[in-house]
Amino acid sequence: MGLIQREIERQGIPTVGISIVRDYTEKVQPPRTIFLKWPFGHPLGEPGNLAQQRTVLLEALKAVKTIREPGEIIDLPFPWRRYRYSVEQMASLD
Amino acid sequence: MLSSIKNQMIAKAITRFPSLAERFLAAYQPVRSEGVIPWSELGKPLRTCKMAVVTTAGVHHDDQQPFDMRDPDGDPSYRELDGTTIRSGFTITHDYYDHTDAERDLNIVLPLDRLDELTAEGLLDSLSVRHFGFMGHIDGRHISTLVETSAPEVARKLQKDQVDLVLLTPA
Repeated sequence: MGLIQREIERQGIPTVGISIVRDYTEKVQPPRTIFLKWPFGHPLGEPGNLAQQRTVLLEALKAVKTIREPGEIIDLPFPWRRYRYSVEQMASLD
Repeated sequence: MLSSIKNQMIAKAITRFPSLAERFLAAYQPVRSEGVIPWSELGKPLRTCKMAVVTTAGVHHDDQQPFDMRDPDGDPSYRELDGTTIRSGFTITHDYYDHTDAERDLNIVLPLDRLDELTAEGLLDSLSVRHFGFMGHIDGRHISTLVETSAPEVARKLQKDQVDLVLLTPA
């Protein structure tokens, strides 16, 4: 995934990736990443958990604004399961 | 066929028992990238951005050619995904992870419903209609095809669609 991300960024479009294997991301070095220590096949979380999926997307969008150093990986603090997500309302991410 | 069934069984076991994943992950290691990390500035507010998603979770339309699961080096091709129709009918062809949950809710790998909501709230300007699907297990001789052909082709299509920002999701 990171290799595709690098090529898109190289062509001039900013990108952000979700990683669930930090070790791979460290080697491939895509420009912007949020990392979750979650099982394969679940980059946005569990089926039907809308608040969880939304939280991951908001974190990805925030990362686009906050990451200034190419290759940075933001480690998100969310454990797999046993975490209660709230629907964060916001007027703007800018 | 046999190796395909074996891969699917390993994928299911790893998803259920994550401790098995480390041994599996240690067996495959990506090549460390060399040189400067590509970088493009997002020169505009997110609320004015058009977004697209590229997923390597093996998602495609039912009527598209499935990804090739017989080649141990994977399949470096991609499928164009129409965001208006993919949600009502899709296939996941990817033997290297358990996609039972993604089949129940596509949003866990291709979060188009959630992105629609963020767009409706005005946090983003719009969601592109065209998205892209890869099958993320790509190795050996297919890596150069991916990096030199498929990925740049997708990037040009994203430019043509005037996409400002791309989210990438793995399996």
